[in-house]
Amino acid sequence: MIQVKDLKKVYSGVIVVNIPGLEIKQGESIGLVGNNGAGKTTLFRMILDLIRPESGQVLSKGEPVAGGESWKNYTASYLDEGFLIDYLTPEEYFYFIGGLHQQTRAHVDDFLAGYADFFNGEILKRGKYIRDLSKGNQTKVGIASCMLQNPEILMLDEPFANIDPTTQFRLKNMIKEVIKKGVTTLVSSHDLNHVTDVCDRILLMEKGKIIKDIATNSSTLSELEQYFAIGQTAAPAGLIIDKEENH
Amino acid sequence: MISTFFSHELKAFWRTKNAGKNVAVRIIMSVLILILMLYVVAAGFFMDMILKKVFPHESLIFSFCGFVLIYFIGELLSRIQLQELPTLRVQPYLQLPVNRNTIVGYLAFTSLFSVFNLWPILLFWPFIFKIILHDAGGIAALGFIIAILGISIFNNYLALYIKRKANINGWIFIISSAVLILVMLGDFMWHLYSIRNLSYLFFGNLIKQPILALIPVFMGVVMYYLNFLYLKQNLYLEELITKKDKYKSSTEYPILSYFGATGDLVANEVKLILRNKRPRSALTMSLFFLLYGLMFYANPGFKNSSGDTMKVFAGMFMTGFFIISYGQFMFSWQASHFDGLMVSKVKFTNFLKGKYLMFTVASTVTFILTTPYVYFGWRVLLVHFVMYLWNLGITTNIVLFFANRNAKRIDLSKGASFNWEGVGATQLLMSFLLFLPPLIVYLPFKILGYPNLALALITMVGIIGMLTRSFFIKFLEADFYKRKFTILDGFRNK
Repeated sequence: MIQVKDLKKVYSGVIVVNIPGLEIKQGESIGLVGNNGAGKTTLFRMILDLIRPESGQVLSKGEPVAGGESWKNYTASYLDEGFLIDYLTPEEYFYFIGGLHQQTRAHVDDFLAGYADFFNGEILKRGKYIRDLSKGNQTKVGIASCMLQNPEILMLDEPFANIDPTTQFRLKNMIKEVIKKGVTTLVSSHDLNHVTDVCDRILLMEKGKIIKDIATNSSTLSELEQYFAIGQTAAPAGLIIDKEENH
Repeated sequence: MISTFFSHELKAFWRTKNAGKNVAVRIIMSVLILILMLYVVAAGFFMDMILKKVFPHESLIFSFCGFVLIYFIGELLSRIQLQELPTLRVQPYLQLPVNRNTIVGYLAFTSLFSVFNLWPILLFWPFIFKIILHDAGGIAALGFIIAILGISIFNNYLALYIKRKANINGWIFIISSAVLILVMLGDFMWHLYSIRNLSYLFFGNLIKQPILALIPVFMGVVMYYLNFLYLKQNLYLEELITKKDKYKSSTEYPILSYFGATGDLVANEVKLILRNKRPRSALTMSLFFLLYGLMFYANPGFKNSSGDTMKVFAGMFMTGFFIISYGQFMFSWQASHFDGLMVSKVKFTNFLKGKYLMFTVASTVTFILTTPYVYFGWRVLLVHFVMYLWNLGITTNIVLFFANRNAKRIDLSKGASFNWEGVGATQLLMSFLLFLPPLIVYLPFKILGYPNLALALITMVGIIGMLTRSFFIKFLEADFYKRKFTILDGFRNK
């Protein structure tokens, strides 16, 4: 489904992403973990053609994403609030996104009815623009709009951050369901429990490189915990903090 | 502590992402302000002669004393419109062991560093030194100086107090402006009372009793203290930031849905304009500029000149003002969600078509609104129509060409007045390129004596521009993909 070839990104002389090769098959669910500045968001942005790599390329269904537009038809993603049109009400935004995928308003309304629990009464018909919602609720809008698109590829950057525990569990189940339907899923997270619970394959990034690529099993969580515990005692010198995560 | 605040603010100024531009812009601003100041100083210096001309039968000091209060009422009105609230971002200091009084005192005090507080000094002090010192003696002059400073301070804090209140409730802004205007009208239109006499009552007596100067000073201090108290009581984040929440309802524009995906994009952009301060003022400005023609057509100096040059200019400006004023910051308006647009199923061709559609609608509406100018002759309307075609065919393309070269983020939540965010060399260059081409096409033929041919040529170029739009869209799309990453990177830079 997605192929990454010799992908490299350099910010002011420091390599932030360097992936010689990565193959993601259809229906796989990938969990991306790594400390701040490991290059997770940068990798996502390159897969979405938002940043120009120094070298290498990303193929989606065999076609390069760079300059292409066909991948947008089957890829849904939510990385940050920059993906939302914040002066619209949530309803208007959902109708807009639905409209892009030739869905009628009635269809969108039907879809949203199924999300009543997830929204917890704080999103729809509250008379607020998206910019007036809290960050957690904005995340919910972003995630729901991804689901609305019936994607073949779903990409979420730290979806568990900023949202309450109940919603985190709901979200986990939602993602699991989507995976069951055969959607190729990429989720980055700092929550090792959630990510090992949801994803079949874990990619561990450090300083732009994928240093571990493991199929999830019962020992994965402890393996990861061990890695991060060690990372804590010996913080790498000259660590470059990712621009986006260092507000 | 105060000095730490100062240094933090200096750092905030120098370290903003586009500091270089800020400085350039501020230099231009300060040159403009300097020129304005020179005018004021000149007015102050020659005030005795001006007053003598305007009120030839009254004594100089009498007419001066009558004028001061009127000035200050006008000043208060313009302060309420234009003066900026001091901008220390208090949020990071609130939870630190910094005295609240220090923060509030700093906020209140720094507001004195406003150009507005300089005007009265520049305007009145020369007169005081030239005439009052000479006629009434040093102590009276000192009294005047102190009184004028006192009223300035009072005005300063009253204006800020009103502005702070208006931030919470927009009506206060309208009501206070209306009250001031009514106060003025009550004197000058309806002659219910005379502000001049009131002003003279105080300043006239000030000459005899300089001690009266303490009254305005006292008023100024009270107003400062009120401000101080208000700020101190409202130093909570939500009260500093949020406005009263109104229920925001969803809207749709059924007409636009005829245009499919393009129409949806336009609908979003219409909402962008209507729901955000700065683009909204671009819209109101373009409505306001519909009166621009009056400056030319109603002016007898231009009426007699038979040429169309001014009509070409005015027509281009009026039917194209929205394209220019809103378009010059394209795609910056959408900077905050440009990432989202890029990954969603929006074809860039449709995105561009949406821009053209919006420009067409806006221009058509403004053209229709300019039809009353037919009062000044059919030829005016003809030239407007010609320029309307030109704007649709050529101006739109130029604006979008420059949109591809603009990578400056704009924060939609900020207001328009004195907001230079997103302004750069691109805009200056563009305005040249917008106004020159029609004149280049028009002037040579006009000078040779073929004004109608010149107009026909402009029409033709405009129509060709519209007919070849699909070519331009292709060109602009290819051009955009060359610059896409620069633009995206710039837009992400907060």
